[in-house]
Amino acid sequence: MTMTAVTEEIKTEKAAANGPSGKTLWLLAPGVLWMLLFLVLPLAMMLYVSFWTQTTFKIEPTLTLKSWITFFTSDTYLGALWTTVRIWLIVLAATVVVGYPAALFVGLFVKNKTLQTVLLVLCVIPFWTSFLIRVLAWRPMLGKEGAINMILMKIGIISQPIEVLLFSELSVIIGMTQIYCVFMVGPIAFMLGRIDPSIIEAAKDLGAGFWRIFRTIILPLSMPGVVVGAIFVSVMVLGEFATSAALSGRKVNLLGNIIVTQVGSLKWAFAAVAGVVLTILMGAVVAALLRVVDLRKEL
Amino acid sequence: MNASGIKFGLGVYTTLFLVFLYGPLVVLAILSFQTGPEGGPQFPIIEWSTYWYKHLFGLTPPSRIAPLPIDQGLGRSMLLAMMTMVVSTILGVTAAQAFRRKFTGSGVVFYLIVLGMMVPGVLVGLGMALVANTLGIERHWWGTAFVLHVVYTFPFAFLVMLAIFNRFDSSVEEASWSLGVSPARTFRKVTFPLIFPGVLSAMLFAFTLSYDEFSRTLFASGRDLTLPLAIYGTFSVEVHPNVFAFGVLTTLFSFALLSVYAVLMGLSVRRAKRIAVQEEA
Amino acid sequence: MSAVLQLSNVVKTYGDLRALDGIELSLPEDSYVSLLGPSGSGKTTLLRVIAGFEQPESGAIRFSGKDVSNTPPHERNIGFVFQNFALFPHLSVYDNIAFGLVNRAVDPVTDMKLLDRKVRDMISLVGLAGLEGRATTQISGGQKQRVALARTLVTEPQMVLLDEPLGALDANLRARMRSELRMIRERCGVTFLHVTGSETEALAMGDTVLVLDRARIAQQGDSDTIYNRPCSPAVARFLNCYNLFSGKMADGGFATAQGLLGFQGHPQRAADPAYAIRYDRVDIRPAGAAATADEVQIEGTFIASEYTGSAVNAFFSLDDGKVFEVEAHLSHRAPENYEPHRRYALAWKREDALVFA
Repeated sequence: MTMTAVTEEIKTEKAAANGPSGKTLWLLAPGVLWMLLFLVLPLAMMLYVSFWTQTTFKIEPTLTLKSWITFFTSDTYLGALWTTVRIWLIVLAATVVVGYPAALFVGLFVKNKTLQTVLLVLCVIPFWTSFLIRVLAWRPMLGKEGAINMILMKIGIISQPIEVLLFSELSVIIGMTQIYCVFMVGPIAFMLGRIDPSIIEAAKDLGAGFWRIFRTIILPLSMPGVVVGAIFVSVMVLGEFATSAALSGRKVNLLGNIIVTQVGSLKWAFAAVAGVVLTILMGAVVAALLRVVDLRKEL
Repeated sequence: MNASGIKFGLGVYTTLFLVFLYGPLVVLAILSFQTGPEGGPQFPIIEWSTYWYKHLFGLTPPSRIAPLPIDQGLGRSMLLAMMTMVVSTILGVTAAQAFRRKFTGSGVVFYLIVLGMMVPGVLVGLGMALVANTLGIERHWWGTAFVLHVVYTFPFAFLVMLAIFNRFDSSVEEASWSLGVSPARTFRKVTFPLIFPGVLSAMLFAFTLSYDEFSRTLFASGRDLTLPLAIYGTFSVEVHPNVFAFGVLTTLFSFALLSVYAVLMGLSVRRAKRIAVQEEA
Repeated sequence: MSAVLQLSNVVKTYGDLRALDGIELSLPEDSYVSLLGPSGSGKTTLLRVIAGFEQPESGAIRFSGKDVSNTPPHERNIGFVFQNFALFPHLSVYDNIAFGLVNRAVDPVTDMKLLDRKVRDMISLVGLAGLEGRATTQISGGQKQRVALARTLVTEPQMVLLDEPLGALDANLRARMRSELRMIRERCGVTFLHVTGSETEALAMGDTVLVLDRARIAQQGDSDTIYNRPCSPAVARFLNCYNLFSGKMADGGFATAQGLLGFQGHPQRAADPAYAIRYDRVDIRPAGAAATADEVQIEGTFIASEYTGSAVNAFFSLDDGKVFEVEAHLSHRAPENYEPHRRYALAWKREDALVFA
């Protein structure tokens, strides 16, 4: 008799999938309206303004391609585009390399659920400090008289402080890797935690060594986690400007920094062009990653 | 290499990984106790003192180092986070409530909402500034910046509530209707108490995200600085340990907030398991 | 007796699936009605449409003289007892029962003394005294069932719908709750519509039994009529007490794979022709025994038997592989032992057979 109930319940659950009813429409309207007005409209405006005419201090709604031509002929802007892509790729690779082994340990090797939770919570706790403070915290670490140089000199590995540690591309990469690698660790550990331990046991019984098990079972099953993590990290790194502003001493200019300085000098049209380029870049990256994995299914 | 060797190696690695995560924060906390005003943001510690904490609250004699403009910023950020929390939680609950029924176009709406947390702050911030300029609207933290904060936090609240409703058994609502209780009162008396832990999590998410948000605020707020903007302002100038002291205090504040959340959560769980007869009896 | 609930031509579809296909139905006041249907026949959907949780595509629902087709659930005054009980997990037993009285839109009870009296009366009626302060997680399945019932009855609905109310209980408790449900209903004087997939439960509990088959009402009548004169092969099959043979009408009987089977009287009208004989109307004899003129006899190989306490059910395999069941009540005769793989004659009186054509 329970079977009866179950099948009938499934049937009633499959409610008719027709258009949103009146009540649903009212529930959705505020949220959708909010997003259209304050998210879609601003983005559309950015695209529109990128074709306006820029004079020294203001913009006029006369359509022109001038800002676009300036952007793609200027070494500064193209350099920023290239720097953005380079930093993004390096940080992405670094978060995978740094994060994967930790995720492997937490997700697969720690069998004790409590310890697993404690480790994951430990990874999240730094988020309770302001993002900007976490970025700033790297200055006393990496500086010429910073903690790292001091320790290295104390134990006699170096005699002169390493100056390239701070206010360089390296410091930006180190900072971003530390801040964003948790977004890589989380999804990978989640995926690894879902692997049925009996599969690995079975492979062991068949005489497979660790590397073989890793290559044939663990790595493929954790790939969706890597991709989801890559989406998080990419979206955040591509939109960055604060870390480079704080740790590069103006040496590293990302597209985000270009937008900030252009807005600062009221060059709205140029800022808009940089914004559109950044949007396209990000859209392409996310679309490519989403082709690999269905985000809605994995969450 | 055998499995236990690998496990040991990975365990050591994970410890180092945690050192990497926490190192800068620990150094920052230590340096916040540097003596002032002559002590700089670097080792060695000349003398342990709480000078920079006093400096934050304006309790030190005036010196060449200007105090952080945090007093007003703190108030604004708190108020902004509160407003954002309330609005995005309401939007999140209503939108998730709508998603309990299947409807055509739900995929589009889902991605439209999730887009809000994906698009970088610089882009929406810039877009909003352009819209405000074109329409001649003045930019304020409580106006243009506030709506962008909600754009950012509403998707988080929505996803939390979606997960809660996924596990929600709607027959208790139908039971309430069949007892003659109107849908509105049913929501208040049955649905809401049962989803309350989820609502609390959504509120926590929204509050902390908004409280810490600065890239959207940077372009969309006017002259008045919020707390993160005040900190961002120190990026271009020389950093003093007062910023570090401030970092320590905000972290403690976050933990206080987290404890309040944990207590409320514990209370709501206990209330669900409560044995005593209710006040009406 | 006047009708409390009338449904005419009610249709409900889910996409291509017709869950209710023109339901015609009229339920008497102050009676226990059981609704019997196989899985997927649309029983739960029918209850949900009556309660107002689902909107039918067409058809009218009249409840105590008013058309309620467009009335929201909370204004229908129809109680609903869920299979999973759906108790409010954040409220105590007492508050679960008081919930409807306090919160209903029409005529809420604000007088605390009156409320307390009503709730306590109901608690003693369903036998929950002493458990008022318990959380719903701290009581047993049977007690949850009582809370669910009490919560509904205390609001004095004109009718109560019960969706497989005993499905979540174990067998022992199920038998006890059956008589209790009937008793409680008699004291309250309202109509119960009890949905079940179990034919014994339906026949035991209902003053009136409705049989739902393929999204339509196949038969409505008292237990005795349903059991002895099912109106279609489908109903007979679902009662789980008839051997059915398909075939067609022929001269002097009904032609089946077992040959020509005789019967008396006129066949009933039905879409698919069939010949039915009840399990307990069949006599088992040694193979080759002679049959009298008013009997029908076929042969089968004994497979196994099943002892149920008051009866023994014996299973035979017919020549075409079909399984034939015979029920022998032990009050009539002592159990006989049949040898496996031996052939026996199976005989019954012509007049006991039901024929649908």
